[in-house]
Amino acid sequence: MALLISILTSTLITLIAVIGIYILTGMTGLFSLGQASFMAIGAYTSGLLVVKWGLPFPLACLIAIFLAVLVGWIVGLPTVRLRRDYISLVTLGFGEAITAILNRATPLTGGAAGFVGIPPYTSFTLVLVSAVIIIAAVAMFKVSKFGRQCSALRGDELAARAVGINVPWIKMTAFLFSVAVTAYSGCLYAFYTTYVDPSIFGWRKSADWVIMVFFGGSGSLTGAVLATFILSGLPEILRFLADYRSIFYAALVLLIINFKPSGLLGSWELTPKNLRKLARDISLFMKKGGKNA
Amino acid sequence: MSLQILINGLALGSVYALIATGFSLVFNVLKFSNFAYGAMMTCGAFFGYFLSAANGWGLVPTLLVAMVSGAVLGLLGQVIAFQRILNNNSSPIYFFVSSITLGTLLEGFVTLKVGANFYNYPRFFESSTFKIGSVIISKSDAMMFVLSAIALLLLAYVIKYTRIGRALRSVSFNRDNASLMGINVTMIIRLTFMVSGALAGLSGVFLGINYTLYPTLGSLVVKGFIASVIGGLGSLSGAVIGAVLLGMMETFLIHLIGSGYAPVVTFLIMLVFLLVRPRGIAGSNVQEKA
Repeated sequence: MALLISILTSTLITLIAVIGIYILTGMTGLFSLGQASFMAIGAYTSGLLVVKWGLPFPLACLIAIFLAVLVGWIVGLPTVRLRRDYISLVTLGFGEAITAILNRATPLTGGAAGFVGIPPYTSFTLVLVSAVIIIAAVAMFKVSKFGRQCSALRGDELAARAVGINVPWIKMTAFLFSVAVTAYSGCLYAFYTTYVDPSIFGWRKSADWVIMVFFGGSGSLTGAVLATFILSGLPEILRFLADYRSIFYAALVLLIINFKPSGLLGSWELTPKNLRKLARDISLFMKKGGKNA
Repeated sequence: MSLQILINGLALGSVYALIATGFSLVFNVLKFSNFAYGAMMTCGAFFGYFLSAANGWGLVPTLLVAMVSGAVLGLLGQVIAFQRILNNNSSPIYFFVSSITLGTLLEGFVTLKVGANFYNYPRFFESSTFKIGSVIISKSDAMMFVLSAIALLLLAYVIKYTRIGRALRSVSFNRDNASLMGINVTMIIRLTFMVSGALAGLSGVFLGINYTLYPTLGSLVVKGFIASVIGGLGSLSGAVIGAVLLGMMETFLIHLIGSGYAPVVTFLIMLVFLLVRPRGIAGSNVQEKA
């Protein structure tokens, strides 16, 4: 039971980070390959504030998120007016820069050896409640005007601009929203594992999150949640395959992209209306005995 | 001393130029960033390493092996990860995801084979440096510079003056139009991936000689990305100019503030560049077509 709880807790922390990516990649079609470094900013800042300056945990989290958003704004500033590739390349370079800083600022961060002694404040309840609140917030944002502008941008940047959407503004807002969520998952992560080191926050991690969003369905929040549970739980199940894990994982995703490009769920969302429709379809299917389906 | 830094910077810049050009080539034709490029570099470098170490080969066969294996990998990658997306005319977003996944896959294979160990390329020269006046040049640096220059000039010639180069340019301008003009677009795209893979293999070996070989060597590809952003995305000459500039700046910075913070400063320089001249030095204007 304790093992299950710990797997669930770490999966939920990953889920919060993936939701952050979903806001950016799933809703807006932008890629950040340095997103894990915003998680690092969240983790290190909140950890340092609590351990070295004795601030209370919630305040430290708030400051960490604020700092991450501020840094994200500086990174986003020159890129949001450009082609979408720029945001992924610039964030990738940013990730390298953050890793270099974390590795070098040994007196503050512990350098490559890592930063130890963070108190274990993150509980399963806290993570669960945070995840539910964040998912609800993103689900609401998705159907709001902001969300619809995002998906217009995702479909076609030029067309979105033509109908009067302020594209740079939408890009920046989505980016900062996703940075804030990711930084928060970093805070949770630091106070859950009680130890962080720079190597955990490489671009592979950001790439994994992007892959999860696409695996679940490029336009579906439900899909992102489902995919996180599958792909984050899968490594636990496949533990005996340790060395082949990442290969299996990548091959699976390549198959999905090649043969069902929209991902597992496409853009299907778990809403009461869709659920009723699904139930009706299934009952129709059962009545016909599956003949016409 | 400053001349010394200049020369070291040129050598480093020439390797970055290979990376940036290979990356820009695919970007130029398909308009997406190939994030599998780093993993292809690593694979090429390791193919070269294992064959040369096992057979005691010299530098030239090693480079050839790395280039050929890079080209094969590029072709395979195109077939596995990108061909179907091209056929379906899907959104460019899928190219991104596919390339990221392909990179993960290749890196997974390398890790499987070599573990987390570090490898050193055999020394290809007996005496490692020579002197001109007061400037000490390491032979591997000189070789990197010369070979990169040859490769890039050759590529520039092919793109500018041959039929294939013309076809490539027209495909990069507009795929559908090129196809209407009787160009075999799929063939050209495959060729682009092969050339890009060959450049990846070449730069992988150089990086392996310069640093050590390890499964995540591919993360050095970030330098190539930064170089092509500085130079202007999709512009080949811009990539070379950006790379040489980056190499010089980096050597200078390492001399000035040490290797640790150099990535931070190069990143800041990139940000400033984007603020001041967002289209990059070469100013190629990559527009998304409606």
